[in-house]
Amino acid sequence: MGLSLICILVGISWLLLLPLNEYSRQTYISENAILPGQVHTYFGGSEHNVFRAYRQEVWSLGHRKSEEEVTDGLYDLLQEIGLRPARQPYSFQVAGETIEGTNVYGLLQGPRADATEAMVLMAAWRNFDGEVNYSAVALVLTLARYFKRWSVWSKDILVLFPANSTYGPEAWVSAYHSTSTIPSASRNISALPVKAGALQGAIALDYPVGPWGKRFDKLDVLYDGVNGALPNLDLLNTAVSVASSQMGIGCSLHGMIDHSDSYQDRLKCLAKGVMSQAAGHATGPHSAFMPYHIDAITLKTVGDGWHDEMSLGRVTESMFRSINNLLEKFHQSFFFYILLNTHRFVSIGSYLPAAMLVAGSFTINALALWVLSGRGPVESPGKPKSTSEKLKEKALVAVNDGKDVMLVPKAELEVIERKMFLPAIVVLGVHLISLVPLYVLTHKEKSGITFAFAALAISSYLLPIYLSGVLVRVWDASVQQLQMLQSFSLLFVGATLSTWATINFSLALIVGLLASPLSFIRPITLGTSPTEPNALLNIVHAVATSFVWLITSPPLALFALSWYLGKDITWMLVEIAKGWAAQGVWSILVIWSVWWPAWVLGGIVLVSSIRFDRVPPAFDM
Amino acid sequence: MKLATLLALPASLAATVLASASDTYSEHLHLKPLPNGALYAGFNFTASTPLTAYESQHFRFFPRSLGQILQFTHTSELHLRFALGRWDEESWGNRPRNGRREGGTGVELWAWLEAQDQKEAEERWSGLVNSLSGLFCASLNFIDQTKTITPILSFAPEGTLDPEQANLHLMHGMLPHEVVCTENLTPLLKLLPCKGKAGVSSLLDGHKVFDASWQTMAIDVRPVCKGQECELEIDQTVDMVLDVERSMRPRDNPIPRPPPVEDVICDEAKGYNAHDTCYPKRREGEMEWGLSRIFGRPVQGSCPAGSRENAVDIVVEIPQERIVDAVPEDALDTVSTTDSQRSYRLKEGQELDLRLPHQILDQAQEHRQTLLHAHRQMTGYGQERGGMHIVITNPHPHSQRVVYLESLPWFLRPYMHTLAISGATIENMYYTPAIDRQKGTQLEILLEVPASSTVEMTYEFEKAILRYTEYPPDANRGFDIPPAIVRILPSNASSDDQGSYLRTTSLLLPLPTPDFSMPYNVIILTSTVIALGFGSIFNLLIRRFVLVEEAPKSPLAVMIQNLVKKVKGAKSDKKVEAAKDSSSASILKDTPNGEVRQRA
Repeated sequence: MGLSLICILVGISWLLLLPLNEYSRQTYISENAILPGQVHTYFGGSEHNVFRAYRQEVWSLGHRKSEEEVTDGLYDLLQEIGLRPARQPYSFQVAGETIEGTNVYGLLQGPRADATEAMVLMAAWRNFDGEVNYSAVALVLTLARYFKRWSVWSKDILVLFPANSTYGPEAWVSAYHSTSTIPSASRNISALPVKAGALQGAIALDYPVGPWGKRFDKLDVLYDGVNGALPNLDLLNTAVSVASSQMGIGCSLHGMIDHSDSYQDRLKCLAKGVMSQAAGHATGPHSAFMPYHIDAITLKTVGDGWHDEMSLGRVTESMFRSINNLLEKFHQSFFFYILLNTHRFVSIGSYLPAAMLVAGSFTINALALWVLSGRGPVESPGKPKSTSEKLKEKALVAVNDGKDVMLVPKAELEVIERKMFLPAIVVLGVHLISLVPLYVLTHKEKSGITFAFAALAISSYLLPIYLSGVLVRVWDASVQQLQMLQSFSLLFVGATLSTWATINFSLALIVGLLASPLSFIRPITLGTSPTEPNALLNIVHAVATSFVWLITSPPLALFALSWYLGKDITWMLVEIAKGWAAQGVWSILVIWSVWWPAWVLGGIVLVSSIRFDRVPPAFDM
Repeated sequence: MKLATLLALPASLAATVLASASDTYSEHLHLKPLPNGALYAGFNFTASTPLTAYESQHFRFFPRSLGQILQFTHTSELHLRFALGRWDEESWGNRPRNGRREGGTGVELWAWLEAQDQKEAEERWSGLVNSLSGLFCASLNFIDQTKTITPILSFAPEGTLDPEQANLHLMHGMLPHEVVCTENLTPLLKLLPCKGKAGVSSLLDGHKVFDASWQTMAIDVRPVCKGQECELEIDQTVDMVLDVERSMRPRDNPIPRPPPVEDVICDEAKGYNAHDTCYPKRREGEMEWGLSRIFGRPVQGSCPAGSRENAVDIVVEIPQERIVDAVPEDALDTVSTTDSQRSYRLKEGQELDLRLPHQILDQAQEHRQTLLHAHRQMTGYGQERGGMHIVITNPHPHSQRVVYLESLPWFLRPYMHTLAISGATIENMYYTPAIDRQKGTQLEILLEVPASSTVEMTYEFEKAILRYTEYPPDANRGFDIPPAIVRILPSNASSDDQGSYLRTTSLLLPLPTPDFSMPYNVIILTSTVIALGFGSIFNLLIRRFVLVEEAPKSPLAVMIQNLVKKVKGAKSDKKVEAAKDSSSASILKDTPNGEVRQRA
């Protein structure tokens, strides 16, 4: 127990060490072919006049009534520029809501390219906050017109205008790989009429400013993908290096414009990164590309400064020239990293031990409980200890060690037979039951989702009490069986989280930390006589563990998250349902099918010794 | 010997003159403006020699270097293609020469070889690709057995060959990753009688040719028999589509900088049009272009080789009202003028430039519908499985018979049971399964595509895991899959037995790629382990283990020990003198020493 506590404490302090210079590294460009900022950018001059005209066009499109007019307008503009335009309607049915839209995109064939590779330049019609992305759409159109004149492209360029920032790109990229073009109940995505080769990179622009214009201070680089997948660090570094070194535009991460590079700010940046990675949700139009191993980022303009749309255009031009230089896929640099600021990162080798230590604490405790469960005497939970003490005194065995003789209770030396069937069945059963909340919360309609959640939360608290009653009274579970039950549950959590840490470090770490009190849960013994020496300590321990168990519950954690985000719980539940059905976000699965069963089983163990009748059991083993 | 050489020279000259009775050479350039500011330029150079002269190694217009290779490898008919870029069917319409002089992206080669059996044919094929590789500076030698196929339906000999003949073997190979560049154009020009110094070939400049939007170079050698007289014909073709705007950029300013504001034509009808806001308007009418600006230099007069009597050097396919200015005017003879095209003959030794000014024509250019569209894409993601999705569209109101040929490398393993074709009936199918590291998959399907319909073909495949030495240096780019070849069979009415061809684009197949930095780690780790193991075993084998006392002391150690003792002795003597009064201290000092001695 002590060891696993140390594990958790070391794990947490490990995280706190990461922002220090000794444990993080300066970012660097790993792939030599990228040559960021080595090309001269020419976007400017008369292109600015063209951009203003396009922004007027886009602005007037934005004030049309129907979505159809908007897509038609964008389609016509693409055609006029000389790209091969196409449309893609899609619809998702999630939580009783229909998400509909039409993606408009155009193909710019690299004049000397062989059609095997392509890059994506996109601007969602509505950005992640729901604003119309006027300037970014106009800028992408201007860039497309400008790119058309160059013959340097070794890859085709796909210019994409998704209808919104999350589901549009998701529909488009999945149709691009033809993975879900067969309509199902929840999604109906039409196939793409125009396609190019393998996508090597995608850059999304976010600049929701109308024709009056607005100068920006910094570029916020959004990089989190669905399920915590990250783009290759080289792409991010290219963006940062082009923007800051070549164009003199500062970059920021997670909206931290005034990052002072102090320990606190680095830790804050790390925490924000870990939180958004753990959530696993889309953070921008780029997120949908990550599951297909396409490196993508979003450049979002933030703050009030002196950079204008042409600077953003030049950054984009330079980045496309860099990606165009790639002879291979992005693979040289890191795919697993945590960023502390735009120029500092922690690589997987440095941060992974934190999550592994936390996950390891479960396994250590599980093994301890397993050993404990093999020791006699077999008892019924909640029985007054005095009887067992007497039992021990009765059968003492003399153990000789050289000259010394030791009297040991006989029962403690015997390895009793483990009756594993009951705990195994209960653990399995609780895991199966966990599919119920998962199913309900991902398939319920929006109107009833909050009620369903409340019902689930209450039953989550009642279930362990009921189950433990059934276990102890009906099935006569022994203390050893309860120990085995907890051991199995902790083993499962430990193994799952340590595996998950290699896929999504942040999620494994956060769930691990939230579930860590479960390792230390022992049956509350309130039925003991007050004359016992440790009675007060026992009561304090009992109250503390019950309190911790009560507040670190999955439903309460979700509720706390919605409070932290300042959003309605209904909104969050619907977002989670949408994420599950439309984007395949797995975070909710980890919460309901890994953490929740462990929490329920912990609860069973916790309340197993409480006896309300105070009558000694008739059957004594 | 010198005398013999001197005598042989006139003799051979005489023979050449005799043979040249039917030696012919002709060249011409076809120019045609295409929609969206593109210009098609098709160069064609045809030479022929009687088969008898060829067999006795008398070459005049037929290139000797190529002729000797063909003779040595017993090649009866040869087709070699270098291609770059894509033909934009939607805006450019029908393919030039029915797609017969086109190749898939990269290099494509097929030939009919004379051989007694398959083994001999393979040997000769190997000789052919290796020799051509040297001649054309291309990696043709990489067409090995894994990349060679024998199509059955897709190709028919163009010359008078009997494909049923037992000793004729068709071999076909493609290299999709080969980048076609200037070093391939130069050898091609060297094969011409005027070597690119005169005639229309003088326009072929690598900078301009390889800046084209689509470009293909072809060499076709075929025997043509008219009755008893047979001759060998070589047809060299360079087809390209140039972007007029891009090609007209001056050489000293090739960067497409944003034009000055004054040069952008604004749409003044827009309400927001202002000095800083300009909606760009497309320039109306036909673009201005000229030969020397497009190709970077004027035509250097005619090529005097061959008969010039009825020669037509340049054909410009433009509407009648379009103005063409020849500079200088007298450098050109107009052969004929029709509604749609004008033919010109060049004069020897006179530079010529054609200029077509900007002009607004009444009637828009007619758009010719292509015979067939074919697209092939890869579906799925991940490193284990994938799928192929082929769409063939027939826009015409009559059905067409089509042969679809796919040559897949062995590491792409198609699951034939998943092959599904919707919208057409399979008439015939030839399939040769792959053998790992020996042979690729060959799939040939004869289809009847119904009128105005779309045919979809899908199949799934598995990606093989390669041995680490089989990966190319840039393994993370993926592997190029050669284009599929679609042959549209001629309808029964036409006498033409070749039909037309089109090719899909090549594809990029990402294979499971190991982290190639790993082998180095492994090598370092194993080397360390081996070093440790070797060290300890070596020690065990050659060393004798004895107690410290048993081991003889090395002389050096003894010397040092003595030295230390002397120094210590001197020191302790001094100390004893210094601490004479406290004898107990010296006793205490001695005891530990005494103990040690006792134990030993």
